[in-house]
Amino acid sequence: MDILEAIKNRRSIRHYKADPVDDEAVNTVLEAAHWAPSWGNAQCWRFIVVHDPEIKGKVADTLMKVKVDNEWVENAAASALKQAPVLIVLCAEQGKAGFRPDGTPVTDKGDYWFMFDVALAMENLVLAAHSLGLGTVIVGGFDAKKVAQILEVPASSNVVTMTPLGFPDHKGQISPRKDLSEVVYKDKYGK
Amino acid sequence: MELFEAINNRRSIRKYRSDPVDDKKIETILEAGRWAPSWANTQCWRFIVIRDPEIRAGLADTLFTIKTPDKEIPNPGAGAFSTAPVIIVVCAEIGKSGAKHGSGDGSTEYLTDKGDWFMFDTALAVQNMVLAAHALGLGTVIIGAFDAVQAAKVLGVPDGYRVVILFPLGVPDQEGKAPPRKELSEITVRDRWSK
Repeated sequence: MDILEAIKNRRSIRHYKADPVDDEAVNTVLEAAHWAPSWGNAQCWRFIVVHDPEIKGKVADTLMKVKVDNEWVENAAASALKQAPVLIVLCAEQGKAGFRPDGTPVTDKGDYWFMFDVALAMENLVLAAHSLGLGTVIVGGFDAKKVAQILEVPASSNVVTMTPLGFPDHKGQISPRKDLSEVVYKDKYGK
Repeated sequence: MELFEAINNRRSIRKYRSDPVDDKKIETILEAGRWAPSWANTQCWRFIVIRDPEIRAGLADTLFTIKTPDKEIPNPGAGAFSTAPVIIVVCAEIGKSGAKHGSGDGSTEYLTDKGDWFMFDTALAVQNMVLAAHALGLGTVIIGAFDAVQAAKVLGVPDGYRVVILFPLGVPDQEGKAPPRKELSEITVRDRWSK
């Protein structure tokens, strides 16, 4: 699939078929993720590939409710996590991205560069999945500490984000984007 | 360009030709950024496209040097600021990504232990942009090691927004090197970390 086509047509998928996803496809999306660039090539990302339905269910239960029209409702991604045959959880090893070798942070963003680097990998992953005909939805609104317990993630790593991986059972909705003129300036901010 | 070709072959480029980059290509790259997903579609990203040589030089001055135990060297991307015709700066509006909806009292409350997700969402957009640039035959290198507060002054970025990263954009004057990646087996586990 053409890269620009993948970027424009990839949608967040919240309903999945139960059809299995083969290991080769899982490997292909992980390969794409880890070809992302990273701070000093630190590659702080770690991937947990979950097939076990019980573990998927427990992780889905950590998703936080979302407010829609002033009412708190279950995050639509929670059922997606249970439906899709595969769940990929992205963790970050702490103290790598954005740090000097002596362990001090380089910038005003402190240790938050793990968020940036993991997202670079995640974008590759969701684009690769789309080009294989697989759906994803990037989830961040969950109790990361509980997920770390469920998945036995050591304290040296942070659970950052996750996505179900499976065959879409609906056509994703296009979320309207701001016009380029609303988000782009020339030479200086606001111009 | 085919997606996997772009993902596998895109390299960080630190040497550029001064050949101009036309507006159409820049628009394609910004479009790619704009189509990234974001927290509840909040699209906190803002992009500044810089051609002005004086402003480019001002930004080059904000780059941090790299200190090793025995020496201090300039950022290897610094030379690009005088040769690459375009610098793209990515900023983020604070208080949007990862925020609870409807707190409405001015002080933002965030949903998760990560606080503001602006670093995450801008990176989704940046990855799209560097892939799109590569597909158009243009080089990029993502730079985060600079004084973002000083850069915000140079660019007139208002309060409530932060400068996140910047990247030069231009025709490569080198073959990028592929830094080795860890084996998938080193970074992937099944079902549980301890397995």
